Amino acid sequence: MIRLLRAEMVKVRSLWSTWVLIGAGALLASGFGTLIGFAPHRRRGLSAILFPPHGTAAWFDDLFSAMSIAQTLALVIGVLAITTEYRHKTVTSTYLAEPHRGRVVEAKLVVSAGWGAATAVAAGAACLVLGFSVVAAGIGTSNVMLTEFRHVFPGVFLAAMLFAVYGVGLGALLRNQVLALVVGIGFTAIIEPIIVGIFPTQGEYLPGQAAQALESVTASARNFGSSGITHLLPWWGGGLMLITYGVVFSIAGSLTTMRADIS
Amino acid sequence: MAVNAESQVPAATPATSSLAIEVRGLTKHFGSVLAVDHLDFSVQPGSVTGFLGPNGAGKTTTLRMLVGLVTPSSGEALVNGVAYRDLDDPLRTVGAVLEATGFHPSRTARQHLRSVARVADIPDARVAEVLEMVGLAGDGDRRVGGYSLGMRQRLQLAQALLGEPEVLILDEPANGLDPQGIAWIRNFLRWYASLGRIVLVSSHLLAEAAQTVDDVLVLASGHIVGQGPLQSLLSGVTGSVRVRTPEADRLVDVLAAAGIAASQDSPGLVVATGTSAEVVGPIMAEHRIVVHEMTTSGESLEQLFFAMTEGSGLGGFSATPGDATS
Repeated sequence: MIRLLRAEMVKVRSLWSTWVLIGAGALLASGFGTLIGFAPHRRRGLSAILFPPHGTAAWFDDLFSAMSIAQTLALVIGVLAITTEYRHKTVTSTYLAEPHRGRVVEAKLVVSAGWGAATAVAAGAACLVLGFSVVAAGIGTSNVMLTEFRHVFPGVFLAAMLFAVYGVGLGALLRNQVLALVVGIGFTAIIEPIIVGIFPTQGEYLPGQAAQALESVTASARNFGSSGITHLLPWWGGGLMLITYGVVFSIAGSLTTMRADIS
Repeated sequence: MAVNAESQVPAATPATSSLAIEVRGLTKHFGSVLAVDHLDFSVQPGSVTGFLGPNGAGKTTTLRMLVGLVTPSSGEALVNGVAYRDLDDPLRTVGAVLEATGFHPSRTARQHLRSVARVADIPDARVAEVLEMVGLAGDGDRRVGGYSLGMRQRLQLAQALLGEPEVLILDEPANGLDPQGIAWIRNFLRWYASLGRIVLVSSHLLAEAAQTVDDVLVLASGHIVGQGPLQSLLSGVTGSVRVRTPEADRLVDVLAAAGIAASQDSPGLVVATGTSAEVVGPIMAEHRIVVHEMTTSGESLEQLFFAMTEGSGLGGFSATPGDATS
């Protein structure tokens, strides 16, 4: 297994898309963080009530919520781990080297979790730089800033890690790169909010909500900002749900699409 | 077909771990199409075995079943007595060159090979070695996306050689290679087989195969239609021999006396038909006839091939999925 993990490491590391995604995680996190913190319309009317004043703990909390973009990018890393192999036919050499296809998927689950976590680290680091810049500019104190960072980051780290696992599952099941990406991102961004709107209680088991739950591992209950009352699983329940999605989809994929002839 | 069933090696027992490829009752359906139909054959070490057949004959499918990429509908394909997926160390047992695709364009050749090598704990030094062997040492750190077809083919071979395998399986390795490359791979395969290893190479290019292989398996429409040493298969075929000699008249007489139809096409050029160089040569030596040049018509293997593949009912599924896989 160690050998397979090392092989998968070489594969992921040698793809420029991995580094683009991680870089994008850092850029988007600091970009969105800046937008959330400093969007000009915020000071007046309803915004002034909904959005906390600059430099407060709640404001830093909002600002740092931008790093959860890492979760989506981690999903992409997980999906690509399998689907690029089919797209570029590198599965041929992969399965020649390890004819037990299930073991290949296992290795990808583990390695992708690591790269998902790396995406969160990149996004977190970028947000931290943003946080220190803000403090240096005289907004808030580093104490408050760091406390909020410690609240937000662990949840994002876990969510990104497990969203990569979920991505591998999707990739294993669907095998087609475009399809898996559209389903993975589209479901969480579009379909899931609709379902959650109609069935809030049942919706808590869906991947996006599970990640949301995971992000509350340390953060306060208001980490979901403006949405008010939401039904969320406990953080460990969210984590279990994501692992379940990843593993169940991987097994289903291993038993169906991934058994297909490679020709 | 005289060479068909009898020439299968009867004595091989699956219990022995001796080096061999064994295929028994191997069958593959793609939907309603029967791509490979109850193949039985074995391949022994020490010689280059050509796996010949027209496009769509089922060569690629058969080779892919041997390495576990395609699951047989029935029957078995064994390497050293076990299925590929049950090999202890697949990369050190079998090296396969299957297609010139199969690389991520943004990886370098070295990165690709390393990702494969890690699985079998093959050191990076070996990666450098195989790149050197196939003449890609200077291009190893370039992205494969910029490689020519011939370079990709070489990279495939490099990958197959990573584990110094006992068995080498190649699917149309000459595709995309320039003449030097083809000559190189021919010599390489002969050398590899001479080390006592198994080399099984598929081709639809007969002239090329004739120069490389010792034994042949001829496949048509999913059936083995011919099997055995190339020379003994060819000896059953009559071709024509052209001889340039200053003693043309005497040669025609001598050949006629031996019962061989011969005529003088142009001054100094004798064409003997319905025979082979192996027959004409000794006669000329015996009669001490001076020869300036002797050529056989290169069609003999082709004729043999057509004779074998025509009789096998191509009509049913001529050009369909067998090589949709290639």
